[in-house]
Amino acid sequence: MIQVQHLTKTYEDLRRGRFRAVDHVSFTVRPGEIFGLLGPNGAGKTTVLRILSTVLRPTSGIATIDGYDVAHEPAEVRRRIGFVSNNTAIYDRMTAWEMVEYFGRLHGMASDALTERLEKLFDQLRMNEFRDVPGGKMSTGMRQKVSIARALVHDPPVLIFDEATLGLDVLVARNLLGVIRELRDAGKCLIFSTHIMSEVERLCDRIAIMHQGRILDSGTLDELTQRHQETDFEELFFSLLSSHEDATHTIDAQGMEVAQ
Amino acid sequence: MSQSSKEKRKTAQRAGRPRFNAIRLIYTREMRDQLRDRRTLFTIAVLPMLLYPLVGMLLLQIAQFTRQHTISVCVIGVEHVTENLESVGADSLVSPLLVVQNEGDDEATESARVHPLGASELTSFRFPKALWDSNSNIDVYAYQAAELSRSGDLETRAQDWVRDQTFDCVVCVNQPLAVDVSNFSAEDLAGEAASIGVYYNVASDQSMIAKDRMVSILNRWRGTWVRSRLADAGVELSVLDPFQINDCDIAPERTREAAFWSKLLPFIMLVWAMTGAFYPAIDLVAGEKERGTLETLLCSPALREEIVWGKLGAVMTFSMMTAILNASSMLVTSSFVFNQIGVGPAGSSMGAPPLIPMLWLLVALIPLSALFSALALAVAAMARSSKEGQYYLMPLMMVTLPLVLLPMLPGTTLNLGTSLIPVTGMFLLVRSLVEGQHFEALTFLPMVAVVTSGCLYIATRWAKRQFESESVLFGDGDQWELGAWMRHLWRDRQRAATPTIAFGCGAVILVALFFGKLAVTEMPDTFGGIAKLVFLPQFGLILAPTLLMATMMTTSLKTSLRLNSVNWRVWSLVSVLAVMLHPIYMQLAGLIGEMYPLSPQALEAMRPFGEHIASAPWLSVILLMAVVPAICEELAFRGFIFGGLVRNNSPVRAVLVTAFMFGISHGVLQQSISATFMGVLLGWVALRTGSVLPGILIHFGNNALSVSLGRIAELKLPGMQNLISVDAISQAPQYHPIWTGCALFVSVACLIALYRTTADLDVMENNDVLADRIISDQPVRDPSLKQYAS
Repeated sequence: MIQVQHLTKTYEDLRRGRFRAVDHVSFTVRPGEIFGLLGPNGAGKTTVLRILSTVLRPTSGIATIDGYDVAHEPAEVRRRIGFVSNNTAIYDRMTAWEMVEYFGRLHGMASDALTERLEKLFDQLRMNEFRDVPGGKMSTGMRQKVSIARALVHDPPVLIFDEATLGLDVLVARNLLGVIRELRDAGKCLIFSTHIMSEVERLCDRIAIMHQGRILDSGTLDELTQRHQETDFEELFFSLLSSHEDATHTIDAQGMEVAQ
Repeated sequence: MSQSSKEKRKTAQRAGRPRFNAIRLIYTREMRDQLRDRRTLFTIAVLPMLLYPLVGMLLLQIAQFTRQHTISVCVIGVEHVTENLESVGADSLVSPLLVVQNEGDDEATESARVHPLGASELTSFRFPKALWDSNSNIDVYAYQAAELSRSGDLETRAQDWVRDQTFDCVVCVNQPLAVDVSNFSAEDLAGEAASIGVYYNVASDQSMIAKDRMVSILNRWRGTWVRSRLADAGVELSVLDPFQINDCDIAPERTREAAFWSKLLPFIMLVWAMTGAFYPAIDLVAGEKERGTLETLLCSPALREEIVWGKLGAVMTFSMMTAILNASSMLVTSSFVFNQIGVGPAGSSMGAPPLIPMLWLLVALIPLSALFSALALAVAAMARSSKEGQYYLMPLMMVTLPLVLLPMLPGTTLNLGTSLIPVTGMFLLVRSLVEGQHFEALTFLPMVAVVTSGCLYIATRWAKRQFESESVLFGDGDQWELGAWMRHLWRDRQRAATPTIAFGCGAVILVALFFGKLAVTEMPDTFGGIAKLVFLPQFGLILAPTLLMATMMTTSLKTSLRLNSVNWRVWSLVSVLAVMLHPIYMQLAGLIGEMYPLSPQALEAMRPFGEHIASAPWLSVILLMAVVPAICEELAFRGFIFGGLVRNNSPVRAVLVTAFMFGISHGVLQQSISATFMGVLLGWVALRTGSVLPGILIHFGNNALSVSLGRIAELKLPGMQNLISVDAISQAPQYHPIWTGCALFVSVACLIALYRTTADLDVMENNDVLADRIISDQPVRDPSLKQYAS
């Protein structure tokens, strides 16, 4: 469903020069699967997901969603994804209902089908109490629900969650994870980025650990623990990160030596 | 198979095209969103509704204050200006009287009036009707000078009264005005001329009003007095007015009525259209960026183009609404106020403006609003927050305001030159429509329409580009730092200039030239001086920055200056062009000279320049005027700057921008325009040949012919006489029209040949560009390059 091959994104940065936010990242996500993208802040998770949601263009590499290239057929890709991110806020001066309805109509849904879908979504996500509350007056949890409803309104086969649990209290976060699990059971293809390990452990079918723009390792939880001879996932994560950093340092040092 | 692929292609095409439904949906949402915002509503609807009536009321108040406020005036020395028993002898000459006693004293009002000093001398006085007939009141208090002077100096007393605001104005007559003319000689009269002191306080409005009224009363009094004296002396009064001025305005009724409004109203509307566009634009782009809702919209199926159109529509609606509301509010208020006051700038014709012609204004408002909205949207897209957006308002205003102010300048009328200036042309067109000059308007309509739609196209394209640019939409909030930037420039040097460096180089050259021009205070009067005047800017201000930047900021001088060799076919074509383009250039310059004529002063100032050039040795003139500018300017504009800009995926823009910079660098408007056209051609040649060298040759040929055409004509070569003649009136050499025609034909043929010759170079050029792309890690976006990419 989602296929990413050698995805690279570079930025011109004043301080660091040309900077690779994403460096030859490749992975595949199949329907009915939750793919976890785990990494510290600044690992490049958001950039990858922004490229997948066609908001950013890849510098090189290919990413396809349902067979559509994100760089060349962005409109088709956007029809097939639901994107929830920290950066995708909701309108302050629109009520929950209006907001979700607006995006449903942008997706070109007929008004009968849309109303039916909205009722179902609002029931499912328990949003009926704040149906007519404007976005500006909502709590963080409510906003997140509206965002999810907005992403789900056109019933997309692919869902992308970027740090979706950030800033939510335990109750709402738990609720959200429940929703995500339900979506998986419904056969959706999900990609979920976070820097919280426990979420990944509980939720994800397969995991990729990202650091400094690269995927260090990926596989199911069992595969990873077996491969690295580490039962504790947190330890595994840290050892991967530190060994990667050591490696880059050594390469740098070697490079320096050669230069000298 | 082919069927399905065709269908796929069709759907793909459809997917890339903006859908009207989506645009309308976005437009409606943005409108609703803005209308729900109280701040927007306040600035757009409530403010104008309140502002103008408030200002109007204030004006009305001021007017009423000036006209109807009762002021108190004290006349000291009343015995000199009224019928008075004590100075019977002089009485016959003080006529008419300045102050008369109220007939039929109204005891009731008299007793009600409390005199500040309680002085017994007070009687109720007033100015006679002949001197003051207005419904506003002047309280007149009068004192005998003789009585007051007993208790102190009259002058200090008068000053004290004004200072303490006992009276608004004090008129002090301390000597008898009535003189017996027969008793004095002319010299005596001049020396003895009586004076009347008027004391007032400039810091007090009331006192100023009183003083103005008093002066006018005194003037009128003096006038009647002079007349009566002259009449006494036997002068016929009609002699005093040798003629009367009979002014008659031949402008038709409509024009007269519209004259005032047709100037003011468009200005008000345009300024408000600008302001009205900017605030919603900031909120709809920068504000959404700040609140994080823009990304939500960007990852919805709405295309970028649909988003831009929807937002543009909303901004435009607000811009127009603001303009219309403000204009109508002002219209209503002002006609009401002027009616109340009864005076207007154009007398009685002020009233209400003619409504039907004003509809033209609304028609013109649509494209102008759209233009401002697109500009505002594009500029606002650069801001990361609403606050930052506000900072961009000023520069945008600074750029557009002169275009709005230009038509307000006296003497600016609709002609070919002004009609080609964006916004200004539209403004003037509307004015002539409002004034009922339909024919004139119709003549310039095509020009204005082309210019306006051109600007509109560019502005909307810019707005769309902004929405497609990642660096604009997701630019990180990195602090710009000089040190880091310098390091970045040095560290990330490339073979040729980057677009940013190219723009920077252009800006440095233009600014340096501007200040260089300021530094020249007078025209040199020797050939050596002229040589210095040409050499210094060419080498110091154009070539030096270019070479410096090329060596410092790029790794290859040859690549960055585009010093690439070209084949012999290109050389031969270009040499023909170098000669053949000149007649066309002359024709163009002549045309521009007619459209925007040089002032006689400027011509006079340039004459010695031409004379020196004409008398100097030919070789040095060629070196000075042709070789040096050709090399310096071409290396800068078609070399370094062009080389940087052309990497930006947009050769057309590179050609246009360098042409524009090249034009501006010439300084004189007329020269700038023709140089810009020339620059487009040179840029095209530079683009096709991939080298700066052909441009140098063409530039050289053109300049060389310009300075030596006169000499060629003087040679009177057999066969050339008919082709190059000297104009009998202006002494300027010119080409025969047939020769110009031939030149045009040959030039076009050469250009086509050049296009064909360089077609096979395209592949190589594209490969270079592609390699550059791949090295610099930028995505290949140009569709024409895709085939080479794969």
